[in-house]
Amino acid sequence: MRRGAGRAAAAAGTALLAAGLALPLYLVLVASVTPEADLFEGMAWLPPDPTAEHYRALFTERDFWLPLRNSLVVAAATTLLCVGLGAACAWALARLRFRGRGLLLAGLLVVGLFPQISLVAPLYLLLRALGWIDSYPGLVLPYLTFAMPLAVWLLVGVFRELPLELEEAAWIDGASRLRAFREVVLPLAAPALASTAILTFLYCWNEFLFALSFTLGPERQTVPVAVALFRGEYRIPWGQILAASVVATAPVAVLVLAFQRRIVRGLTTGAVKG
Amino acid sequence: MRQAARSEVRLAALLVGPALACVLALAVLPIAWTVWESLHRHDLRLPWLGRPFVGLANYGEALGDPRFWSALAHTLFFTATSVALELGLGLALALALHRRFRGRDALRTLAVLPWAIPTVVAALLWRFLFEGPASPANAVLLRLGGEPLAWLAHPIWAWVPILAADVWKTTPFVALLLLAGLQGIGDELYEAARVDGAGPWRSFCHVTLPLLRPVLLVALVFRFLDAFRVFDLVYVLTGGGPGTATEPLALYIFGALLQKLRFGYGAALSVIAFGVGFALALLYVRLLGARPAGAQR
Amino acid sequence: MNGLASGLQIRLCRFDSGPGLPLAARGLRPLLLLALLACGAPSTGTVVTFPGSALGAEGELLQRQVERFTAVYPEIRVELRRTPDAADQRHQLYVQWLNARAPDPDVLQLDVIWTAEFAAAAWIRRLEAPAPDLADFFAAPLAAARWRNHLYAMPWFVDVGMLYWRTDLLEAPPRDFAELERAARAARVRGDVTWGLVLPAARYEGLVTVFLEFLTGFGGGILDDSGRVVVDRPPAVRALATLRDAIRGSGIVPADALGWQEEQTRFAFQNGRALFMRNWPYAWALLQDPERSAVAGRVGVAPMPAGEAGRAAGALGGQLLAVNAASDVPEAAQRLVEFLTRPEQMLERARVLGQHPPRRSLYTDAALQGALGISAARARELLERAVPRPATPLYTELSEALQVHLHRALSGQEEPAAALAAAAGEMRRLLARAGLGDGA
Repeated sequence: MRRGAGRAAAAAGTALLAAGLALPLYLVLVASVTPEADLFEGMAWLPPDPTAEHYRALFTERDFWLPLRNSLVVAAATTLLCVGLGAACAWALARLRFRGRGLLLAGLLVVGLFPQISLVAPLYLLLRALGWIDSYPGLVLPYLTFAMPLAVWLLVGVFRELPLELEEAAWIDGASRLRAFREVVLPLAAPALASTAILTFLYCWNEFLFALSFTLGPERQTVPVAVALFRGEYRIPWGQILAASVVATAPVAVLVLAFQRRIVRGLTTGAVKG
Repeated sequence: MRQAARSEVRLAALLVGPALACVLALAVLPIAWTVWESLHRHDLRLPWLGRPFVGLANYGEALGDPRFWSALAHTLFFTATSVALELGLGLALALALHRRFRGRDALRTLAVLPWAIPTVVAALLWRFLFEGPASPANAVLLRLGGEPLAWLAHPIWAWVPILAADVWKTTPFVALLLLAGLQGIGDELYEAARVDGAGPWRSFCHVTLPLLRPVLLVALVFRFLDAFRVFDLVYVLTGGGPGTATEPLALYIFGALLQKLRFGYGAALSVIAFGVGFALALLYVRLLGARPAGAQR
Repeated sequence: MNGLASGLQIRLCRFDSGPGLPLAARGLRPLLLLALLACGAPSTGTVVTFPGSALGAEGELLQRQVERFTAVYPEIRVELRRTPDAADQRHQLYVQWLNARAPDPDVLQLDVIWTAEFAAAAWIRRLEAPAPDLADFFAAPLAAARWRNHLYAMPWFVDVGMLYWRTDLLEAPPRDFAELERAARAARVRGDVTWGLVLPAARYEGLVTVFLEFLTGFGGGILDDSGRVVVDRPPAVRALATLRDAIRGSGIVPADALGWQEEQTRFAFQNGRALFMRNWPYAWALLQDPERSAVAGRVGVAPMPAGEAGRAAGALGGQLLAVNAASDVPEAAQRLVEFLTRPEQMLERARVLGQHPPRRSLYTDAALQGALGISAARARELLERAVPRPATPLYTELSEALQVHLHRALSGQEEPAAALAAAAGEMRRLLARAGLGDGA
């Protein structure tokens, strides 16, 4: 009897939690198809006369493809660099014996945890000197400061979990360590590399402070910056802002739905930056 | 053997080199540059003043500015409050997810979603929920028989949407972390507690909490560091207002750097923020013992 | 930066297609190019970049006017660059561009409050041979285009703060603030409206323009004629106290307005929620659209009311066109500025966008009638009386200090006198630090 009541209470609590998580998302979805003037006067559970106007305006008047493309280019380039260079670095840190290994690892972690704002001033002056303010490299380079430590840290964990015996077997077969890494370790770690790539990509896609600081105008703005600065001379077009929010979230939502387990695993093994 | 060791070091240098070079060039050197910059007066907006060396004057100005101190206080208040809420709620969510029930996978996906969406979007979403006399938040207030509030225009109530947004967005992350910890606790321990006659509450206090302690610590320190950097959320939700009542340190520094273009002064503020953040990060690494797997092993 | 590179590329391509050059000279191409550009004469392949709004009716209009310009000057090509529409974002963008001495964009669209800052930093070019009919321009926007007695920009359109009122609920607009308050209270008691007056009071530049109108209404100012900070004097304290009481005391202004910019203010008024609205001229045409506006045909426009001891005045706003000091093609850029500020183009802007032209002579023109929502004579009167914000290179910083304390006072965190004393103190320090002195 008590057990049943407890279970019911737990179920109710769980349902409440689920509602708390989902409700804001639902409201935004509804609002993004509600006409602008109605938004100001409050909103309904279901839009009385839904309109795709905000989405249309987003892509025809605002050219929202531009920030989408910018985000994609920057996040993909950063992810490739980080997973590529990071995998080599992480494997060396996990498997090779050399002095200062622990220190390096700790140093990387500390860098990954820097307050980002303290890097804005020097990176701005550096990029300005290089003429890279408002350019793709001007975003990819700053992104490496947090994405590289993240990727290396996640991958060190991955490589340490792989059984050493397989690598050793390869050496006995006469393979060099580097070849063992390439031909045995990397294929084995491919799924983990993929989840690291997904996490890195998510972080870059969502990054705001650097993108806000190192771009100048709509030409190179990434999605979060474009959405946050979505204002006209006099107005805050909520309809379009919310439509843009939905569009900005869509790729992330797809990734999450497709790779939920993998993301959770990456997050919790990392436990560091995630 | 010696030969092999040397070749191993050479290989390590080759592999570690590029990644390390990136981090050194982009994060470590720039910090040194910031320290140097912070000793100068460098206002990009007033080019006729040049870039004279001014010693510690910028630090003096920062420490003498009440807006700096209130920004620091706001940051610490936000950090403490949001972390406490997130750990409490995160634990509840983790316990809920730990049980077996229909739709658990769906709930888990739902939980990852707020964490994965851009912070800017989360902030806009909560701003929308709280902005204006007819906002959904005010609709709830009216339904409960209250008066509508101008949330974002009130120095204290403005914290509500900020904290709500942060809790909504990060609690799931904390929960997933703790869930991983929960799953590492063997069933036999609960079984033993049950045999000893412990009820669910006692076994939570005497088995779950102590064994979860390391993960809780990781979650705590990590969230603390992350909350200390808060920027996106406030930038979008209140812009630091009303007045500067919700302005955190990062926003204050951003304003000095990229709105006023006072690079000398902004650099001094950055060094201060870095000092505090660095100390916290070191603490974190010490606590973790520089092991990658804190939650799962 | 990339835009810059592509601009250069375009120039180089054009040069290639020009008259055949001896091979040896091709190596010197960049030098030759510089020499050619330095000659100044807009040569074939001159490209002028101009950042402007790409949105809606304004973007289309600009496109049309630029096409007309190219028909007159076929040797000049105009490249439109997209920029943010929000003034503070555009300002930040310009400062970063100009500070980096980027030669693009060639023509800049300035807010009236930026001229001093950009001119003092030598970021914009003195207009050597200005249009001959400067006398035709209103004094205030023309003054906003000058710095230290030199002309640095041309007024493009002017804005002035105005009081919108409901003609169905009121016989005549209020002449002073006490009258406005009485009418607002009465209308709320009758249940005609939720709020008396709506105005943009978020912490941004717009708040300073609203405050400036109250300030002028009470006989105060921000800086005096010799550049001293006077915003902590008694008239200013009375003005701020009045505005504060309207929000926190009588409640005729909603506290939500502390988060509003122009557009939320317009929505509140357009949905019939308020008796009065303080806004810019742009709102007129939108309020008259019966499709979207619940108050179409029931709106009047009047000057902002005065307080005690002051005069009724709207804040001066508007945009100017200037030439980047680092521009490679200053003559062509100036030609574009001159063309866009001709009477015909201004009239078209007024008709399509409802923007007030800065030329006096146009206010007798029959073409302007009906475009502005008020009679041309009345509009002219408002503009003659418009009160400008201080012209100082530090304006944006001074304004930011003021905004913070105004917002604190209006949200009940500081008393008006204390808020203004703190703001004035910060403003004096800023002026002293920049070597511009305060003297007070």
